Amino acid sequence: MMLDALFDVAKTDASAAPSSDFLARVLADAEAMQPDPTTQIADRTEDKPGLWNVLLKALGGWPSVAGLATAAAAGVWIGVVGSTSLMADGIGATLLSNGQDSFLSDLDANYAFLVE
Amino acid sequence: MPYDTQADIPDETLLVLYANGDGAAARALTLRLTPRVFSHAFRMLGDRAEAEDVSQEALIRLWKIAPEWRQGEAKVTTWLYRVVANLCTDRLRKTRGVGLDSIAEPADDAKGPLETMQEKARLDALQAALATLPERQRQAVVLRHIEGLGNPEIAEVLEISVEAVESLTARGKRMLAKALAGQKEALGYSDD
Repeated sequence: MMLDALFDVAKTDASAAPSSDFLARVLADAEAMQPDPTTQIADRTEDKPGLWNVLLKALGGWPSVAGLATAAAAGVWIGVVGSTSLMADGIGATLLSNGQDSFLSDLDANYAFLVE
Repeated sequence: MPYDTQADIPDETLLVLYANGDGAAARALTLRLTPRVFSHAFRMLGDRAEAEDVSQEALIRLWKIAPEWRQGEAKVTTWLYRVVANLCTDRLRKTRGVGLDSIAEPADDAKGPLETMQEKARLDALQAALATLPERQRQAVVLRHIEGLGNPEIAEVLEISVEAVESLTARGKRMLAKALAGQKEALGYSDD
């Protein structure tokens, strides 16, 4: 049948094939619009901050953490150095005011006051 | 003959590879899909430049949707044919009665000049006859008889029932036969 023969001619028609220029243009589009795998990986790693980063951020960054460390070190130093010197200077005795004669040093081994 | 070297990989898989940044998948899909898209657009519009515009637009839409492509919902080619069909419909509505003078010369040097001339005359006659069909009939006839799609796939492309596709192609073929009836001898088919 003539119509079927015409369809067969059309199926192999070179004029209905895209030119190489056009194919190159389409490929350029495809490449330009293709997602970049390296940025996909970078995005994924940025999404997962570590525990230390979370903690650091919660405390207000490195300057705050440095201040906290200094305060902690000073506290330890005062605790160690001041514990005996304060007692020696009698500061502990003045704290017990109102003319009481009891001293911390009067405490016996059972922490009971000795008889005056 | 397949245009790409990854002929055994389905279009859907290639599209996933493309979305993952595989350069070879971009080339394979371009070489595989462009001829099909272009051929259909050309048969519908009868003009190479217009067919190139429509094909490029359809493929750009495919590249855009690739990262969100949902496997198993539709075939890539069915989806593409539908996009092309809709783009062609828009063009045809805007520019009714496109001239057929712009059909390009066939670039086939292997045939003799007489044979080439007769083939061109046949293709021009077919294209002119196709242009007389209502747009939906033309879509159905081209997809069925030139692109070689099955009726269920055409039904998906045109978003109609299989029965409606059968009716469209049957009516389209009758109209084509009528339009070409007077040219049998001129086209070298006098012996059937």
